[in-house]
Amino acid sequence: MSEAPVLEIRDLHVTFTAHGREIPAVRGVDLTIERGQTLALLGESGSGKSVTAKAVMGLLDQPNVHVRSSVARLAGRDLLTMSAEERRELRGSGMTLVFQDALSALNPVLSIGDQVGELFRVHRGLSRKEARARSIEMLDLVGIPAAARRIDDYPHQFSGGMRQRILVAMAVALEPDLIIADEPTTALDVTVQAQILELIDRLRRELGTAVLLITHDLGVAAEVSDRVAVMYAGRIVESGEVQELYDLPAHPYTAALLAAIPDLERPSSTLRAIPGSPPSPASVPPGCSFAPRCDRATGMCSEARPALRLLDTGTGRRAACHYSEEMLNGALA
Amino acid sequence: MAPSPEPTTAGGRAATAAEPVLRASGLHKTYHGGMLSRGGAVRAVAGVDLELYAGETLGIVGESGCGKSTLARMLVGLERPDQGEVTFRGRPFFTRGGVPRDIRRRVQMVFQDPLTSLNPRMTVHDIVAEPLRVHRLSPNARAMRDRVGELLTLVGLPPDRMNRFPHEFSGGQRQRVGIARALATEPDVIVCDEPVSALDMSVQAQVVNLFAELQSTLGVALVFIAHDLAVVRHVSHRVGVMYLGKLAEMGPAAEVYGAPAHPYTMALMSAAPVPKPQLRGRSRIMLAGDPPSPVAPPPGCRFHTRCWKATERCAEVEPALEAVGDHFAACHYAERAS
Ligand SMILES: Nc1ncnc2c1ncn2[C@@H]1O[C@H](COP(=O)(O)OP(=O)(O)O)[C@@H](O)[C@H]1O
Ligand SMILES: Nc1ncnc2c1ncn2[C@@H]1O[C@H](COP(=O)(O)OP(=O)(O)O)[C@@H](O)[C@H]1O
Ligand SMILES: [Mg+2]
Ligand SMILES: [Mg+2]
Repeated sequence: MSEAPVLEIRDLHVTFTAHGREIPAVRGVDLTIERGQTLALLGESGSGKSVTAKAVMGLLDQPNVHVRSSVARLAGRDLLTMSAEERRELRGSGMTLVFQDALSALNPVLSIGDQVGELFRVHRGLSRKEARARSIEMLDLVGIPAAARRIDDYPHQFSGGMRQRILVAMAVALEPDLIIADEPTTALDVTVQAQILELIDRLRRELGTAVLLITHDLGVAAEVSDRVAVMYAGRIVESGEVQELYDLPAHPYTAALLAAIPDLERPSSTLRAIPGSPPSPASVPPGCSFAPRCDRATGMCSEARPALRLLDTGTGRRAACHYSEEMLNGALA
Repeated sequence: MAPSPEPTTAGGRAATAAEPVLRASGLHKTYHGGMLSRGGAVRAVAGVDLELYAGETLGIVGESGCGKSTLARMLVGLERPDQGEVTFRGRPFFTRGGVPRDIRRRVQMVFQDPLTSLNPRMTVHDIVAEPLRVHRLSPNARAMRDRVGELLTLVGLPPDRMNRFPHEFSGGQRQRVGIARALATEPDVIVCDEPVSALDMSVQAQVVNLFAELQSTLGVALVFIAHDLAVVRHVSHRVGVMYLGKLAEMGPAAEVYGAPAHPYTMALMSAAPVPKPQLRGRSRIMLAGDPPSPVAPPPGCRFHTRCWKATERCAEVEPALEAVGDHFAACHYAERAS
């Protein structure tokens, strides 16, 4: 791969301080996304996905939050040495965030045309009239019917699915290098979810944007991502190409998640439940965070934390488990 | 623990003339002046009939706002229908004096969010003991404690934690407390409204397995409402698919999922994301737009505005839920398995 990745993050840490206690919500996350690629960041609630997204976006610049990383680069530009002003300019034009809840992400007292148009006026210096024309094009692009007529409507006049399309339009309006979509379809019904996922995927193909798709849904990640990073208790425990990762998980947590969900084609098979529940970030167990729930764990696991390391598959597969090789070989044997 | 998903009480069961434990006929519920109705009347449930047989699980799926929770509340007598009746072993729920006490005892409910449905100021003992007290099922405090301990053990919670409060438990454990409370009165029916939707992925399977286990050991009949199609398929013998306050389709789970007859069921199945990357790029049915508002449901067939099979007739004549092979579908052009 000669072209530099669109996003490169190394060793990202985010620690909150609340009531005098430190909450290490993200503890050493690496992310790399190539141009035109979708990386799914998959994890259960509380695993640190949204905090990771906000840190990448530079939205955690506030007291009581400590963010650090060794590398943070967007399309070759160093995010660490950038001024706050440059960082702000980059949000909206270089990278954008699509939230789960479109209603609270949109301004209720501004028309849709004003909200989309503002992007073109502020970042591109277009006139009111030009911005309006571009806004109609964008709303068209994301499939808002009769966009020219609806441009003066307010957010509450649109259905949930249409509002989510408007958010997507705003996210792609300035052709950013990276779109971060944080559970963009979790609040939507399944028939509408399929439409939005298809829309994001189409825009990625057409515009060549890189996408970081945050989800807790193994199905959603399987439908649209090129690569998957599985997050557990503030760390990435496994990453790799989507098909390979689902076929041959190299971390017991990934394997356990895949075995715990019902399979429509094999309805009578037993669900293999995972015992216990995910740890709270304020009290993550020593050693491997998953060890207390893992059926493979040995004494070593609760003592020595396995690092996320490149496996010998030749495919850029990484896993943080002492037994990844055994898992891969066992599955093949 | 393997649930018993193969239908022992398939659609054919009705033909054997066994008496259902629970029967709903012609249920209607309209809300007036609700927050989201903008002045109109919300037709939350608009004519639902169903039967639940002893020991079976009837799954209900459908998108948000289609009336699943409203139906659930009527099925346990928490809400009175505007029209229609629910009967328990042939006896009506909605008598002049309210739902008879012994019916309330036999028909229990489990809610979606265990944190809001459990009183945070009550200990787990008091939460689980409440129905025992209301229905006077324990002669004294000691017997009550023993019974609470028994119930907690049944749902896989350590009885020695009964004096703790809900917030001291994880989400999955709290849902177990809710299930223990529902089991306290030895119900014949438990209506579960999205019982695993609020749980972490890694915890859902524990609770799904618990339901299957309880059903096979206690023989309790379940109505299992969820929007996760795979979970419903996994636990249910029969499945009903709701759209805008009505059943679009109902039948044995294997048939509804394997050979859907109603276009909405097909679209729903087709839209569900599948955790199998190799199935990507399969042909899928993409519906246009969102479900219409229940304030002004479309005339004729409620689904016709989003249906690719719709004709003029669909906009005018409302299709009834009719037998299509082994299952029932409300569509003029229902797919008949060859
Ligand atoms: N503003 C905050 N203050 C303190 N802790 C926080 C804050 N935001 C997030 N956290 C902690 O970070 C953890 C990860 O949160 P988040 O990234 O939102 O998880 P998710 O993977 O569900 O998106 C949470 O468990 C929470 O304890
Ligand atoms: N108490 C209520 N007052 C007014 N409207 C209600 C009330 N409960 C439910 N509704 C409305 O009835 C419809 C069906 O709701 P509900 O039964 O909760 O659906 P579901 O559980 O399938 O999401 C929705 O449009 C909802 O807004
Ligand atoms: Mg989140
Ligand atoms: Mg509901």
